[in-house]
Amino acid sequence: MKSKQIKIALRNCGHIDPEDIADYMSKDGYAALGKCLIGSREGVVETMKKSGLRGRGGGGFPTGKKWELAAAVPGEKKYVICNADEGDPGAFMDRSVLEGDPHSVLEAMAICGYAIGADEGYIYIRAEYPLAIKRLKIAMAQAREAGLLGKNILGTGFNFDIGLKYGAGAFVCGEETALIKSMEGNRGEPVMKPPYPAQKGYMGKPTNVNNVETFANIPAIINNGADWFASIGTEGSKGTKVFALAGKVKNVGLVEVPMGTTLRELIYEIGGGILNGKKFKAAQTGGPSGGCLTEKHLDTPIDYESLKQAGSMMGSGGLIVMDEDDCMVAVAQFYLDFTVEESCGKCVPCREGNKVLYQLLNKITHGKGELEDLKKLKDFSEVIKSASLCGLGQTSPNPVLSTLDNFYDEYYEHVTEKKCRSKHCRALIKYIIIPEKCVGCGACKRACPAEAISGEVKKTHLIDQEKCIKCGACYQKCKFNSIIIE
Amino acid sequence: MKAIKSIDDLKTLTDEIKVKSIGDKKKVQICIAMATCSIASGSGKVLEFFKEEMPKQPFEFMIRSTGCLGLCHSEPTVEVTLPDSDPVVFGSVDVKMARSIIDDFIKSGKTIDGVIEGN
Amino acid sequence: MACQIKENEIKEKVIEICSEFKNDPNDLIAILHKAQNHFGFLPKEVQAAIAEVLNISSAKVYGVVTFYSYFTMEPRGKHPISICMGTACYVKGAEKVLKEFESKLEIKNGQTTPDGKFSMNTLRCIGACGLAPVIMIGEKVYGGVKQEDVSKIIKEYE
Repeated sequence: MKSKQIKIALRNCGHIDPEDIADYMSKDGYAALGKCLIGSREGVVETMKKSGLRGRGGGGFPTGKKWELAAAVPGEKKYVICNADEGDPGAFMDRSVLEGDPHSVLEAMAICGYAIGADEGYIYIRAEYPLAIKRLKIAMAQAREAGLLGKNILGTGFNFDIGLKYGAGAFVCGEETALIKSMEGNRGEPVMKPPYPAQKGYMGKPTNVNNVETFANIPAIINNGADWFASIGTEGSKGTKVFALAGKVKNVGLVEVPMGTTLRELIYEIGGGILNGKKFKAAQTGGPSGGCLTEKHLDTPIDYESLKQAGSMMGSGGLIVMDEDDCMVAVAQFYLDFTVEESCGKCVPCREGNKVLYQLLNKITHGKGELEDLKKLKDFSEVIKSASLCGLGQTSPNPVLSTLDNFYDEYYEHVTEKKCRSKHCRALIKYIIIPEKCVGCGACKRACPAEAISGEVKKTHLIDQEKCIKCGACYQKCKFNSIIIE
Repeated sequence: MKAIKSIDDLKTLTDEIKVKSIGDKKKVQICIAMATCSIASGSGKVLEFFKEEMPKQPFEFMIRSTGCLGLCHSEPTVEVTLPDSDPVVFGSVDVKMARSIIDDFIKSGKTIDGVIEGN
Repeated sequence: MACQIKENEIKEKVIEICSEFKNDPNDLIAILHKAQNHFGFLPKEVQAAIAEVLNISSAKVYGVVTFYSYFTMEPRGKHPISICMGTACYVKGAEKVLKEFESKLEIKNGQTTPDGKFSMNTLRCIGACGLAPVIMIGEKVYGGVKQEDVSKIIKEYE
């Protein structure tokens, strides 16, 4: 991808052997830890505050402030946790860092431990990342052997060691209180905040939880200085952000750009534009918790505040590009399907409310929606947002509200005209044979699993709309472009 | 790696490693991305090929398997850095292209297809 | 499904696994992962044994097993097929791939073939979105999977 990128979190990925600690050290690996251990814990916290780094997992909470809160809580025993649960579908930033530069995370966790007064850390990693787990285990063993983890690190008297804890396929465990519950061997059900993990977290002790990408930035900030980091990005969002560009874009992959880069630059300059010459329709940010950006947002500089104002959120960095063939009502339904499955079930607004949203969307995409359903979608969404216990429920209606706001026409057509302009919703489309183009080869008839096509050899064939199950097999088979979708 | 006993020792060791890597810059350096996407796209075969073929060549070399450069659209990717030159990244590398990288690009200095610009 | 494994074999293995984690109930999830890797699934007999060794209730173990999608109480096939239904794969046509697997194997998502060879489940994002649509068979990742590729992929395991 093009050089509008500045690689900080991804600085070493693709350039070092992640299974060789010496390679990491050739790029000043562990120098930042050494620098911190010479100075004071308060100094480290001040540097983090000055840098302006904000949590890269989605919340965007100022990292320095988070560390300051944990440092201020009295207690002999504290914990550092790295959230490597990366559950957002479409996001793979953390996986790349863990597979490509695992030592950067270990070093950063040790720095955090020093700053807040913790001697133990855990990486909570999803089980779906076996290669990342393998490389982390190797890195941890190497760091211990080199005396960079464990007791009396670098002869300074500072003790810090790291263990691994595994997820087991629950998106909600990306929420920090649910994550902590899971680490304690429980169902991943979030709890009320306050108390925040900084006050009472893992095993009831003060705990600081940060995301992989947040940690990956830290050694670079310590080595190059807070001012350097703060000189990149926008007023309220310093530094860079890693985005996972996916979907209908030519150059699918990971990019790291300064905060404030526009959507247009991301999609067209770095991403190479839309696949197959199609028209850009929307870009979903923030995964199931986010919303979509449309043509009118193409020149918006992307940062935490601007995305919120646009009705979306930064999220972890997944950016799914959609084109004219994507039905935005179906997209909202897809996200609600996910949310309903992943809801922990503890609170009524999320558990029951999201089911209602899903059922309404399902009704609409199956051609049975009514105009009043659109109002119900909005009303339920607002209740769920304001009454849910945790971030999952509080953000789950965002895809609905965002698509309703930006693509109201599509919803309107689905319910009043029973029409899907993207020709995606099966119940609202018809496959029709154009008589002038049909040569009567019979390929469609043979392919049809519902025996819905009639016609003799070399004569125009006809699809019986009552029998047609809209599978599209005939459309795939026809070599004469004589079948259209209406 | 032996246990590093002090911050000064860390600095000394880091300096030694950096001196060695300056020496490595005189070699042909080959980095093959071996992340999940890379492996799923067949980078394992490419790595094996380079490991087999490079020792037969008449120049010093270094092979590294790395994480990915984020170029999912063009995996498997291979980054080649000739002595005193900037790195060049090749995309969609298979064994056939790997052969051409060695024979044409490295040994004969020819330009070949498959370079990914701007990295 | 009734468990075919002998009771004493279960007990012995569970004791061995739990002791690796010093019988700490906090490590229940890691213990369940190891147990599932060994037994292939987590029937109630295995869950009861874990509960007994860790000195926690069976209800607690059952609650955790049923909460997390990775854990299964039904045996997986010899070649478990996981189809990613994350957003990137969805927009690139993962639903069609799922339907094709269902059609070719004559089972639905969540089921195992009668001969125990293949089982199917959906995953929410393996993190290989650059290769969408993605499936995994065991630990092997296949990228850019189209409907037309499904038969060929199944043949690799026959």
